[in-house]
Amino acid sequence: MSVIVIAVATESGVPIFSRKRGNNESVQFSTIASLHGINMFSKCHNLSLIETQVDNGSILWKEYCKRFIFSVTLIGIATGGLECDLELLLSSVNDAMIFCVGKKELENLKNIDQIKRDLRQCYPILDYLLESLDPNAVSSPLPTLLLDLIQSILCPQAHQLQQALDNYAESVTGRWACLIIHGHLVATSSDFCELDPREARLMLLLAAAQDGAPLRDTPVYFPQMSPNVAFRAVTCKLLADVYILVVCGATPALSQIDEIVLQCWEGYASIIKEAKLGFPRNFPMSITFEPCVLGVLIVNINKRRCVFSRHLHPSNQKGRGMSGAHRMDILRTFYITTARELAPELKHKGPSNGIENMTETYWCSEYHKCHAQRLGNILCCGLYASSVQLHTIRLITNQILQDLNTNKDVYW
Amino acid sequence: MNNYKNKISYDSPCDSDNDWTNSSDDSKYSDSESSVPEWDSDVSEDGELVYIKTKINNETTDETKPPLLESCETFKLRNNFKRSSTRRSTKGRIFKVLKAHKSKNPDTGSKREHEGLPAASINKNKFNGDKFIIIQVSKNMIFSSEKNCQLEKLFGLSLETHADGKTLVVADFLTEAKLIYTPKIKKGYYLSKINGVEVNSYNINNILQRIIEDHNSPRLTFQMPTEGSYIDLERLLKLKNAPENSLTQLLKDSLCSVLYLCCNDIEYNSNDDKGVLYCYPRPFNQNFLYNTRGAYVTLNHLAPKSLGTSEPTNSTVLHNNTLINITYTSHYNDLLLTAFPNKQVDLFAAKKVIADIVRLLEFLYGSLKACFTKPNNVDKLDSLFSRIFVTLIINNKGSKEDGSKNVGLYLEDTLAAHSVTLPLEVKVQVDDAIAELESADYREWTDDIENFQRLYTVIGACLYYSGHLLSSHLQDEDLKEINAYLRLNGVLKLSTDKELEKLVMWKEVFIHEHRNQNKNEGNEYRVLDGRWFLLTVGKGHFILSTLMEAGGCTEDAVGITPPSPFYVEECESCLELLYDVGLHKYLGTWFCSNTQPQVETSPEYLTKYGRKIRDTNTLRPDSTLKTSTLKLTKSLSEKRRHNSSEQINVGSSNSDMNSLTNYGSHHSLYVHTYNTQKYRNSSLDVSYSEDSNSLKSNSEVSEERVQGRRADREQRNRRDSSGSDSDWERLDGSRASGSMDMSDIRKSLLNEMNHVTTHRITAGEENVLFHFVQLESEKGMLIAPVKNIEMQANNVLYSYILKTFRSACKQIHDLLQHSIRFKKNHAPSNPLNKILVAVKEHGMLFQAPLETLSQCGVNKKNTEPYLFWVVGRVFSDPEPRELYLCYHESVPQDLTEVAYLLSYLE
Repeated sequence: MSVIVIAVATESGVPIFSRKRGNNESVQFSTIASLHGINMFSKCHNLSLIETQVDNGSILWKEYCKRFIFSVTLIGIATGGLECDLELLLSSVNDAMIFCVGKKELENLKNIDQIKRDLRQCYPILDYLLESLDPNAVSSPLPTLLLDLIQSILCPQAHQLQQALDNYAESVTGRWACLIIHGHLVATSSDFCELDPREARLMLLLAAAQDGAPLRDTPVYFPQMSPNVAFRAVTCKLLADVYILVVCGATPALSQIDEIVLQCWEGYASIIKEAKLGFPRNFPMSITFEPCVLGVLIVNINKRRCVFSRHLHPSNQKGRGMSGAHRMDILRTFYITTARELAPELKHKGPSNGIENMTETYWCSEYHKCHAQRLGNILCCGLYASSVQLHTIRLITNQILQDLNTNKDVYW
Repeated sequence: MNNYKNKISYDSPCDSDNDWTNSSDDSKYSDSESSVPEWDSDVSEDGELVYIKTKINNETTDETKPPLLESCETFKLRNNFKRSSTRRSTKGRIFKVLKAHKSKNPDTGSKREHEGLPAASINKNKFNGDKFIIIQVSKNMIFSSEKNCQLEKLFGLSLETHADGKTLVVADFLTEAKLIYTPKIKKGYYLSKINGVEVNSYNINNILQRIIEDHNSPRLTFQMPTEGSYIDLERLLKLKNAPENSLTQLLKDSLCSVLYLCCNDIEYNSNDDKGVLYCYPRPFNQNFLYNTRGAYVTLNHLAPKSLGTSEPTNSTVLHNNTLINITYTSHYNDLLLTAFPNKQVDLFAAKKVIADIVRLLEFLYGSLKACFTKPNNVDKLDSLFSRIFVTLIINNKGSKEDGSKNVGLYLEDTLAAHSVTLPLEVKVQVDDAIAELESADYREWTDDIENFQRLYTVIGACLYYSGHLLSSHLQDEDLKEINAYLRLNGVLKLSTDKELEKLVMWKEVFIHEHRNQNKNEGNEYRVLDGRWFLLTVGKGHFILSTLMEAGGCTEDAVGITPPSPFYVEECESCLELLYDVGLHKYLGTWFCSNTQPQVETSPEYLTKYGRKIRDTNTLRPDSTLKTSTLKLTKSLSEKRRHNSSEQINVGSSNSDMNSLTNYGSHHSLYVHTYNTQKYRNSSLDVSYSEDSNSLKSNSEVSEERVQGRRADREQRNRRDSSGSDSDWERLDGSRASGSMDMSDIRKSLLNEMNHVTTHRITAGEENVLFHFVQLESEKGMLIAPVKNIEMQANNVLYSYILKTFRSACKQIHDLLQHSIRFKKNHAPSNPLNKILVAVKEHGMLFQAPLETLSQCGVNKKNTEPYLFWVVGRVFSDPEPRELYLCYHESVPQDLTEVAYLLSYLE
C-alpha cells in the first residue's frame, strides 16, 4: 500500500509539499509538474478530471478555494490495494492546511516560501491522516483509524468529566474543551458539539501531534467556523496519555492557565484514572459482549464519533489466531468498503451507486464474519468468528445496539 | 408410410455448390428455381455478408406476449424447405419424413400474417410531455364490450402496454366510441391520466374501480407519442458505407467517442494527425476526446513510469456538465481510448464494455493494431463503432420521460452471455441439433467421399433465442468473443425485438487460440495456420453462430472468401430442425412460464396483507385465473388484427369474467405460471379451427404400429389429447405431422409443458426467491431469469427489488473480484488488499420504501417492514463461479445449498 499527497500552487505550479506513506519512492519534481500539467491542460478544455483509476488504486486531483485565482491543487495517489476514500483524504488535508495557516493565507499565496514554512507545522497532522489509512499502523500508540470519525472511549465518568470541562472552559474564558485519553475523545464540554465534527477531529490530531508538551498554545483556524480568524487552542497534559484541550481567547496567559488547570482538575484525578482504565476496552464494563464477538466498531452517526474495541472480554483469550491489530484492520476495511453505505449521511456527494434503504450488511470470509446494522443514530459493525451462523450474528448485533441505546453508562 | 420412399430421392451431394438448391422436386422454396441464394447480391467485395430480412408486421417484443399471441404466427405451416436432405443421423429420419409429408400439404397459413396488423408501430423510445389531449367520456355511456372488459365498457377503447411495461397505449376503439375519440386520438397514443391521476399498467385497475364508484364523467388525458431517437439497427447492420451525418451528429451529442493513437516517435511524427490513427465520431476538432487526448496520453505514460502504479484503467471526467467515463487500453505503445456518458454506461459497465470491445476488435481483426492500421477500413470501423454506440447508448435510453430513472445497461448483459436453464430434454434436443451441424456427417449424401474435400470444419456453434444463449459448443474464449460480436453489433437486440425472416452474416475472424499462440512458437500442438470464418444465421428469434475453419483437413481458403451457400444452408436447416420440433413455440411459452427455477414475481404476497389477498383469491374457485383486463384486451385486439374475419372470442369471455371478479386485487397483468394452461386453452382453439384441413393427423397416428413402451406412451398421449389440456396435441396435429416419430418428439417436449414442474431453489415453504444470477466468468456465461421477467411481473415492488438487486450486485461483484483475482494469481504484480481477498460472501439487507409498498396495495398502517436480501457468493473451485441471490428476508438461505440446487436444474 502506498499513498501520496502532493500540494501544488495552482497558478504557478510551484510544489508546496508532498507527503507520503508506504513503500513507494518519493515523487520527483518533474512528475509533479506533469501531474499538475495534466490538470491544467484539461481545465483549458473545459474538462475536469474527477477521478482516474489504476489497477488497485486511484489518482485524484482536487482544487479548493475556487473562488480565488490563486489557490492550491491537491493531488492524491493511492495504490497497492489500499481501500480508502481518496477524496475524503484530500478534503481532510485541505482542512488541516486551513486549520494551521488559515484560509486567507492559502488563498493569497503571496509568499509561497512563507506558506511552505508555515505549513510545515501541519505535517504531523497530515502524517497522522495518512497513517490512518495504513493497515500496518493500526497498532501504533495513537491510532487514528478512520478519516472522518472521531475515535472515542465510552465511559460512565463522561458525565462528571463534562461538568469539570465546562467549569474549566469557563475559568479560562473559553468555550470548547475536551478530554483526550490515549488519543481518544473521552469527554467534552457541553458546547463542544458546536464545532464541526471535522474541526473536532483536527483538534484531536493537534493534541496528538503535540505529544509530550505539558502545556502549549497554538493558533488554529477552524475551516468551517472561522477560516480567517485564529483561535487559541491550549493543550495541557494532565497525566500520562491524558490531555485536556480548550479553545479560548487570548487573555489568560499560559502561566495563568497552568494554575487554573491545577485548581480545576485537582479533585478529578481519581475519576480520570478510572476513566483511563476503560482503555483499551473502550466500553463501560456494564456492556458485555458475547464471546464470539471478536471486535466491534460503534459509530454515532450524528456526532461522527466511533468506538473501536477488540479487548471485549476480560479473560484475555488471544489464541484466536488473529492478531488484535488485524481485527481492527478488518473492521476498518469493512466499514470503509461496505458498512458506510448504511449511513448515507456520512458520505459526501458523488455519483450515486443506486444503493438505498440498506439496513444490514455482512461479509463472510474464510476466517471471520463481519456484520453491520444500523439502529437510528447508531451503527454497529461486529467482527465474529467464522463458525457463528449468520442468524446468530444478526441477533447479537441487534442486541448490542439495543444495549447501547438503553445502557445508562453510555454517554456520547 | 409412404413418406419413407421420399428418402430415396435425396441425392443432393455436396461436391458442387449448385446442386443443393434445386436437387429435389419437393422443394417449394420460392428461390429454389435459381441456384443463386437470395443474399448473393449482398456479398461485399471482401467476401463479407450481412443479409437481414425481418418480418414487417412484428412490432414489439414477442416473448412478452402470452403464448396465444405467438400461436398466430407460428401456426403457419412451414413448407419452405429448401433442401431435400437435412439430417441423416439416426434421428434424421424423423425430419425427412416430416418434410416429405409437409411438402404434400398446400400452404395454408402463411398468408395470414401479411394481412392484419396495421402500421400501428409505436415509437418506443421517447416522448416528451408537451402535447396532451383531454377527452371527457360521459358516464352515461356504456359501451357494449363483447369481451366484458371494464375498460372497454367505460371508455370504449382498448389498451395495451407499452414496451416499457408501464405506459398504456391505445390499441383500438370500439365502433360506437370511435366518434368520440377520432380524429383527435389515434391508435398508439398514450393514455397518461384519468381524472388528472397518472395511470400506468400498475394502477389502472384501481383507478377504474374508483371511476366506477365515481359519478362524475371521467376525463381522459392522452399524450401524443413523439418521434424518438430510436435508430434502426437493421439498417445500420446492413450499412456498407460510413454512417450518415445525422447519426454521427447524434453520437457526438451524446458524448461517446473512440480514439486510437500510436505513441511511438516514428509513427507520431510521420502521421499527419499527431499519431491519431482513428477517431470517431469525426471531425477531429469537434471530438472532445481528440481535443483532450494529451491529458490521457501523458497520464498513461506517467502512471507506470513515474508513479509506480499500473497503467490507468479509466478516468471519470466532467465535460459540459456531463459525467463521462473514459477507458484506457494499452496495446504496446498504442493507446485506445473510449468515452461513454456515465448516465447510460456507468463505470462498472464501462469497464466491462471496453473488455468486450477489445475482444471484438481482436476477434475481427487479429489485433488492435491491425484493426486500426488496415487500409481502407475506416468506413467499416465507423459503422462498427456507430453500431456499438447505438446499441449501448442510443437505443438504451430510458423510455420514460423522467430522466432520473434511467434504464442503463442490463447488469446481466454486461457481465456475460445470458443463458437460461432449460429442461434436460429440451437441452438435449438443442445440443443434438447443433452437434449434428458440427459433425458435418455427409456420408449419406454422396458416395464418393474420397473425392470430396470439405470447405470448412465446423469448430463450434452457439445458439441464441431472443438474446438468451441456449447452448454453446464453443471454447470459452470463442464464446466470449462471439457473444461480444453479436451483442455489440446489436444482432441479439434485433433478434429480440423483431422476428427475423432471414439473417445471414459472414465474416472472417481471428480466433483467440490462434492469435495467442503466435507468441510461443514451436508448440507441438499448435493451431494450424488456417483461416476462420463466423457464419451467423437467424430465423425468428433464433440466432445461430457457427465458427468455421478453413485449412488443415479442409480446403485452404485463398483470397476473398464469400460465404458458401452450402454451409449457410446447413446452418439454416439446423434452425429449421429446431422449428420442426416446435422449439420456437416451446421457448415462447417457456420464457413466459417462470418455472426453472421459479421466482416470486408478486413480492407483496410475502407480507401478511399479501397473504390475505392471495388466500382470498385462491378460495374463490374461478379466480385462479389471474388475467387482467388489460392484457387480455391487448392480446385480443391484436388477434383481431390478425384475422379480423374470424369469430375469436371463444373462450375469452369467461376469462374476462374471472378477471373481473378479482378486480383490483392484484397487479399482475400476466398470467401466473400455473394458469398458463387454462389461458392458452381458451384461445388456442381459434387457431386450431383455422387449420381444419389437418384434423386427420390424429387418425393417421393411430395407424402406425407401435409396440412396447413407446406404444404405451403413445396411448397415453392420445388419451391426454382428448382430455382437458389437449391443445398442444391438437396443435401438433394441425401442424400436420403424420409421422409417428415426429409427434413422439414433440410430445416429449410438449407434454412436459403440460405438467410443468416448477422448481424452487430456495428453502422454506413459500417461494422467497425474487431474482438470481449465476455467473461463470471464465466461461463467459451466466444463468438468470429471462430478461423480460420484470415486464412479466409488471409489479412496482418487483421492479424496485430488481433495481436494487442490480445495483447491489455491482458492488458485491466488485468486492468478490478481489478473491477471484487472488486465487487466479497468487503473487500479483500489484498487491491486493489482504482483507478483501478473503471475502467470499457479501450480503446486503434492504427495506422497500413505504411508497412502493402502498403502490402495490399493501398500505395497511402497521405493516411490518418489507425486507429482502441481496447476497453474492463466490465458489472458487474448480473455476470461479459467482452466485447472486435476491430473496425475502423471512427465510434464511444458505447460498451453497442454493447453488447446489441450481446446478441440478442445469
